[in-house]
Amino acid sequence: MSTHALPSREYVLDALHEVIDPELGYNIVDIGLIYGLEVADNLIKVTLTMTTPGCPAQDYIMEGVKQRGLRIPGVQDVDIHLVWEPPWSPQKMTPIAKAHFHIEDDTP
Amino acid sequence: MTAIENAVPAVSDRLSRWTLLIFACALVNFLLGQALIVAGVTWPEVAFTAGSTLAAVHLITLGWLTLLMFGALFQFVPVITTKPLLNQWLSLAVLILVEFGLTGMTVGFLALNRGASGLARCLPFGGTLVLAGVLLAMGNIVTPLLCSRPLALPGRFVLAGLAFLLATVLLGFTFALALSVPAFTPLAAPLLASGVGYHVLAGLGGWFTLTAMGVSYKLLPMFMLAPEERGWWGECVLQFGISGFGLSVIAGLLSVWRPQAVLLNAVQHLGWLAIAVAVMAYLIDVLRLYRTRKRARIELHNRAACGAFLSLAAALVIAVVLVASHRLAAYAPALVLLVLFGWLSGLGLTQLYKIVPFLTWITRYGHQLGRDAVPRVQDLVDEARTSPWFVIYFLGVALAALGAFINVAYVCRTGAAVSAGATLGLGFEYWRAWRGHYAGRTRPATPIPPPYLSRGGPAP
Repeated sequence: MSTHALPSREYVLDALHEVIDPELGYNIVDIGLIYGLEVADNLIKVTLTMTTPGCPAQDYIMEGVKQRGLRIPGVQDVDIHLVWEPPWSPQKMTPIAKAHFHIEDDTP
Repeated sequence: MTAIENAVPAVSDRLSRWTLLIFACALVNFLLGQALIVAGVTWPEVAFTAGSTLAAVHLITLGWLTLLMFGALFQFVPVITTKPLLNQWLSLAVLILVEFGLTGMTVGFLALNRGASGLARCLPFGGTLVLAGVLLAMGNIVTPLLCSRPLALPGRFVLAGLAFLLATVLLGFTFALALSVPAFTPLAAPLLASGVGYHVLAGLGGWFTLTAMGVSYKLLPMFMLAPEERGWWGECVLQFGISGFGLSVIAGLLSVWRPQAVLLNAVQHLGWLAIAVAVMAYLIDVLRLYRTRKRARIELHNRAACGAFLSLAAALVIAVVLVASHRLAAYAPALVLLVLFGWLSGLGLTQLYKIVPFLTWITRYGHQLGRDAVPRVQDLVDEARTSPWFVIYFLGVALAALGAFINVAYVCRTGAAVSAGATLGLGFEYWRAWRGHYAGRTRPATPIPPPYLSRGGPAP
């Protein structure tokens, strides 16, 4: 049994910044691919999407999230749920990612 | 939200394992075809129907563009449909069959030049191998397309393109038999005398152009963050494209045996009109796509692709003028050159500049994601170094097309040499991307993470 304390949600999100969408060349958190994150009982549950269905890098991004999650002290398993609803759009990016891609912010 | 998948496979079946090898072989074939033109052994120095011209044309259409399309479709049909190919090994079998078949055809065509009837038998032999390769490729690609319901717009373009491919190859096979097997010559003589143009139209228009349109409808929005839904415009391009190329080819082939039939002539002209509408609608839609993109600063492959779209626009205008002035037959080879090098090869070369690094990233760095720092796809290329090659390529094509239209052979050859040099330069850049030549120098190694890895906004 792990002796590490359970990582905070913030800590896990920080770690997932190291996983990139290779085509856009930006971390998946700021691109807005992470739809949900739960941390409980040494388990991370990540709900994520892709920029386009059938993305060739899909399996590698999912595996990357799993591997990065497993490197966090105290985490024993990473459960990944890939969803397509609601569909991803550039408006799901954080302001810094939008600024990087020169995307106008449409949010009211 | 509905979870549709929660297991991460150890090895991705979304990667077409043979696509990069197919691209490499295709590029070599393209360079060989260009070398024949530069050497001055093909049209415009000799007749368009001379064996050496046909060898160069088939190296480019079959060896380069068809293999390029197959390689791209083996990778992107699973993306379009979210269904796997029938079998990954079929892709390798297709490559082997087409390469051996093409070699046989090239030997056969060159033998025709020298009147060597024995070696000319290589033509139908090579054609048989190519036909087998095409049927295998179709099976591999059509299976995921037919399993996908509803089929998205790009997939419907690809299905239509494949139907035209089959028609093109069957027609070509008939020509091969007529040219090299005396027993078939009288039977196919009328087709050989005036049906070659419809073989070219079915290939360049129905197969390459419709497929390129379909693939571009997936790739352009994906890489420019533009709306994928094309609505009325996309449907218009597809319906007019299929009916235009279909009517022109079918009516044209029938008119080989009934040249005076007024109805066939009218249907053929209706087909030309539909093709013009389809191409115009496509170009307008591509313009809309660029204008509505979310990614303000687009990458080199999408900037350079404008050269291909301009070539298509120029070909459309010239074709309309030629058809209206009844001079299409006289300038058809020059028009073919513009479509082949400017539109189709131009689009192919530009999109390879994204696809090769992307597949390289997946192959070489995908498994390191989450375990180690990995480069981005952008880090595998050097756009500043490569962009002049695209400029030189399209300038070379423009010069070659000009030489072809004004019928000055040395201008055409000079243009072909310039574009061949640029193709070689681009080939080196694809090679460097694949070798990871640029990856090391831009790889994040500093203790402070670059912006694309740092925390930048509110938590989801």
